[in-house]
Amino acid sequence: MRATLRIVSILYAGAIYAFIFLPVVVLVLFSLQATSFPIPPFTGPSLRWYGAVLADARLTSALVNSLVVAVLSSLAATVLGFLAAWGFARFHLPGSAFLRGLITLPLTVSYLIIGMGLLVMFNWAGVPKSLLAAGIGHVVINLPLCFAIIYSQMGDHQVNIERAARDLGAGEGTVLVLITVPVMAPALFAAFFLSMTFSWDEFVIAFLLTRFDTTLPVEIWNLLRSGLNPKTNAVGSLVFAFSIAMVLLFELVAFRRRRA
Amino acid sequence: MKTLVKTHARMLAAAAGVLSLVAAGNATAQELNALIWCDHADPALLQPFEEANSVKVNVKEFEGTGAGLAIVEQSQPGDWDVMVIDSVDIPRGVEKGLFEPLPEDKLPFPDLFPEVKLDNYTVVDGKRYGVTEKFGYNTIGYNNTKVDPADMQSMAALTGDKYKGRLAIYDYYLPVIGMAALAAGKKTSELTEADLPAIRDVLMKMKANAKLVGEVVASQTALATGEVDILVGGGEWVTAGLAKENPALDFSIPQEGAVLWSQSLAMFKDSKNKDLALKFIQYIMSPEGQARLATSSCYWGMPASTKAALTDDQKKVLRFDEQPGFLARAQPYPAPDADLDKKMQDLWTEMLQAQ
Amino acid sequence: MAAVGKDGRIIPWALVTPALAFTLVFFVLPFVAMVAVSLTTVQGGGPTFDGYAQFFQNPSYRQALVNSLQVTAIVTAVSILLAYPFAWILAEMVPPQWQRLALMLAVLPFWTSYVVRSYSWLLVLSQNGVVNQALTGSGLLAEPLPMANTRFATVTGFVHFFVMLLTLTIFANLKQLSPSYRKAAADLGAGPIRTFLYVILPLTLPGIMVGAFLTFVLAIGDYITPQILGGNNELLMPQLIMMQIGRRGDFPLASSLAIILMVVVTIAYLACARWLKIERA
Repeated sequence: MRATLRIVSILYAGAIYAFIFLPVVVLVLFSLQATSFPIPPFTGPSLRWYGAVLADARLTSALVNSLVVAVLSSLAATVLGFLAAWGFARFHLPGSAFLRGLITLPLTVSYLIIGMGLLVMFNWAGVPKSLLAAGIGHVVINLPLCFAIIYSQMGDHQVNIERAARDLGAGEGTVLVLITVPVMAPALFAAFFLSMTFSWDEFVIAFLLTRFDTTLPVEIWNLLRSGLNPKTNAVGSLVFAFSIAMVLLFELVAFRRRRA
Repeated sequence: MKTLVKTHARMLAAAAGVLSLVAAGNATAQELNALIWCDHADPALLQPFEEANSVKVNVKEFEGTGAGLAIVEQSQPGDWDVMVIDSVDIPRGVEKGLFEPLPEDKLPFPDLFPEVKLDNYTVVDGKRYGVTEKFGYNTIGYNNTKVDPADMQSMAALTGDKYKGRLAIYDYYLPVIGMAALAAGKKTSELTEADLPAIRDVLMKMKANAKLVGEVVASQTALATGEVDILVGGGEWVTAGLAKENPALDFSIPQEGAVLWSQSLAMFKDSKNKDLALKFIQYIMSPEGQARLATSSCYWGMPASTKAALTDDQKKVLRFDEQPGFLARAQPYPAPDADLDKKMQDLWTEMLQAQ
Repeated sequence: MAAVGKDGRIIPWALVTPALAFTLVFFVLPFVAMVAVSLTTVQGGGPTFDGYAQFFQNPSYRQALVNSLQVTAIVTAVSILLAYPFAWILAEMVPPQWQRLALMLAVLPFWTSYVVRSYSWLLVLSQNGVVNQALTGSGLLAEPLPMANTRFATVTGFVHFFVMLLTLTIFANLKQLSPSYRKAAADLGAGPIRTFLYVILPLTLPGIMVGAFLTFVLAIGDYITPQILGGNNELLMPQLIMMQIGRRGDFPLASSLAIILMVVVTIAYLACARWLKIERA
């Protein structure tokens, strides 16, 4: 019985892993295609399409745009989320539950609707489409997430440490810088990192709210619409490699923190 | 407390500042803002112009005249310099007071194929508002090793049973509705609401035969990879660019005729860079510009100018020499008014949803 | 500044106001603007319920919502069914020291851009794609299966993502269960199957519901996956909405449709929230 369960488990997990990895393997394999169609038979390996990606100024500048938008919008979302979480966790505010609900409300709304709402409002206000507009959209989707993560990590023990510090004569600013932020660092970091991930991969808001300079997912979409070729595979594989490097970096930082 | 808010505000302001800096980009160089179709986004087309004039061409792609005009309406006057638009839709832009007349003497009109000048659309009240830059046909594209080329001489093949499940339909309502109108024996330039039921019949039969309805790339891909053997609405814009990869791709102009698509360049009345805009149009209409546009990476198409600097191979792939015969049998793109346009789009939605 | 104590009302408000103000200006206000626009028409004028009326009168518009609900329901069900056993295996059968790696591995493929992921599925499922070539090449199939450009392809693309998401939420849920529950069940004479059905499954239900709701919200609002994989053989709500914007610049109709979609999501949320509450009681 136990042995059968083991075998079935291994087979099942193997099948799921195969399902999960199938498109990625195909993506990377055919990014090395030598001819113009990313379908079998495999004609590579060739780095031809990677060269094409790196030579494409629209793609490389979109990559930079994506990074800037991801970092800055995540920073804004983390700071706003942290301050609000701190406020709600430490003080009893009237209507607290309602207000917290309001901040987390965007979590239940589709990105498409958030993007459309901003588009309509910006149109009405005469605000032109730009990366800044897309960045604001990314803060809208990430603020509730950051708030929820940080708020859930603000436990009583932390309030106690803060109180102890205050009792010992520390001012609010000192408490914030020396106690709260360091204690909350893992949660802050997690919130920031998760926001970056969502912003980095977000399509529809950036699609609706940018004009000339745009983010990588939108540029990849344009690439997809302008011709089927292994260049799309190559840019996808590059994004993959880049993201994995980021994750490893995150793991390293988080790991070191845990050890310290 | 105050410091807190201040720090906070400062951080936000800094973030916003950096973002807007990035957004502003190379604001120092002279820039041309162009509302375009994907073929104009090809660096091989834009770079020579950018380098020769040391300017930056900002491009924004759009689908369909309605959406293009909506983008203009949501922008500030002067935001845009030039626009690519279906030749038949130029009067719609002129009506809204968007376009600037073009100086005929500064553009190579004598070089154009006479059939694609389309003066009845591009000239309004004696003034010329658009110059045709590229054209082609929405007709039947197919793989000549998989289908009987003789069948492709009639649109009946698209609605009959023989090729069931082997069709893709190009996902743009106007040309395909135009083709359906031709199949129903109607003239594309005279369509009214009363013609829609007959068109609907044809569309539904095509849909029943179709495996997918795809945009430019999805439909190209489906044909090129063997997912389907026939592309309704296809033409040289699908087959020519892929000729090197798959020489079996071909197109026919069936006995019922084909829909002539034709894109024009227009200049905005409120443009702040009219000289540069004219230079851009002149570049696109030059023999080199025409050749680059015709063979753009997004899709190929016939250059409007007979003088386009194409190689013999490229001409052969585009079937350059057969154009007079094709043009004689082609009918213009449908140009519905807003009301009929909405009804056509709803008909298209209905077709997409039909199982 | 340091003088503000427990009763000080300034600091707490200063802390929460930026986030609240941001949410009001960039989330609530846009929504209000969208409602206002949905009550106009492209030709201007209003207020009118024309956009909403169009949705209810046009069968192909209504069909988009029906398609969306069907696809989302299938995706949610299939994803849970696939993810639950997987999460269980990771939590129960994999030695604890390897669990982190096993999870990392399961999440790894999602670090590709999601636009690219849908596109990869198109390559995998196409007529001459790897799956069809493998099946016909090995003699398992005489003819390639039509998989790309179908609802099947859309569902596959969605399920791929949500299996990962649900595996994470269910895994977390399973790990939180105290082993003593299982021991207690065993002591009372329950076999492993009964323990699972009557103890483990009910205890992980809240986690499943949270995952299911997340799946529902994210899937029903997604444009990319059906647009790339579905071959336009049917339209889902996001495609219909984007069509109004992309083809016609018809913001009033697009806004009406978006609000209808949002109402549907809200109903699902309320249904889920109520259900969850009952479970906890």
